[in-house]
Amino acid sequence: MPNVHKDFHGALSYGLQFVHDNCGEEAAHEFLAGLAETVYQPLVEDMRRRGLAALRDHWQRVFDLEGGEIELAGSGDSLELRVIQCPAIAHMREHNYAIADRFCEHCRIVNGAICGAAGFDAGVEYDQKAGRCVQRFWKAAE
Amino acid sequence: MISCTEFIWVYAELFRFLENRGGDDLLIKFWEGIRENFLGNLRDYVEQDGLAGMHRYWSHTLGEEGGRHTMSLYDDMFVIDMHQCPSANLVFQSGRIRPYEKYCRHCLWLYPPLLNELGYEATFTIIDAETGQCRLTVKKPEAL
Repeated sequence: MPNVHKDFHGALSYGLQFVHDNCGEEAAHEFLAGLAETVYQPLVEDMRRRGLAALRDHWQRVFDLEGGEIELAGSGDSLELRVIQCPAIAHMREHNYAIADRFCEHCRIVNGAICGAAGFDAGVEYDQKAGRCVQRFWKAAE
Repeated sequence: MISCTEFIWVYAELFRFLENRGGDDLLIKFWEGIRENFLGNLRDYVEQDGLAGMHRYWSHTLGEEGGRHTMSLYDDMFVIDMHQCPSANLVFQSGRIRPYEKYCRHCLWLYPPLLNELGYEATFTIIDAETGQCRLTVKKPEAL
């Protein structure tokens, strides 16, 4: 089982703010989208093989490890992830880490890049202050 | 959400991205920023409890991160002997990302300058990055 060191959420948040402040919004987008070709390449390949079932398993595993409160729903062609309490936001708030101004945007960008590479689309509606969001995934139009 | 269990790979990719964008200057600026903005709890522990505070801080972080190491706490010295760094293992051995050769340098910029600033004599030696071996030695001057 992977080791869970939640302070890393704070370091990631600092990193996202640093890239935004020092390199600009476009660079921040480029960095995050590029993760689909590196860190998340195994997930992309799994989604190409198994579709949204692979993404559902990914989210279940991640939020089980992190102790987040979520609801997952969907059929074969769509998936909805409702995050009731985001473990990253909750941990940073609990430990007084600075939360990047556009922290939750990373979910929109990374999800979009992963799904785009695997033949799916993604959308997210979030409330960063509340640490809640709804993420939706569906098969991309042919 | 980028999970904290995926963070080390993202961190290494961020280092690579910053180096490509702005060379070592931007990379070091980032590491210095992490040190000044993100290690407040280490600073607090050391200001309160000195070498014992360092032991407490790394017992927590290395305990959560895993890996194989020994920590030695003496009256006048604190040493971490890292035999198999969990982060370096992910960066260099997992195959998940292209290994980033400068990865281990971030510890050099994070910890010794902070501990030196607090009056200690800290040295950090990378023994072998690919196998995750390094040593942090912190000596307490007689004046402290």
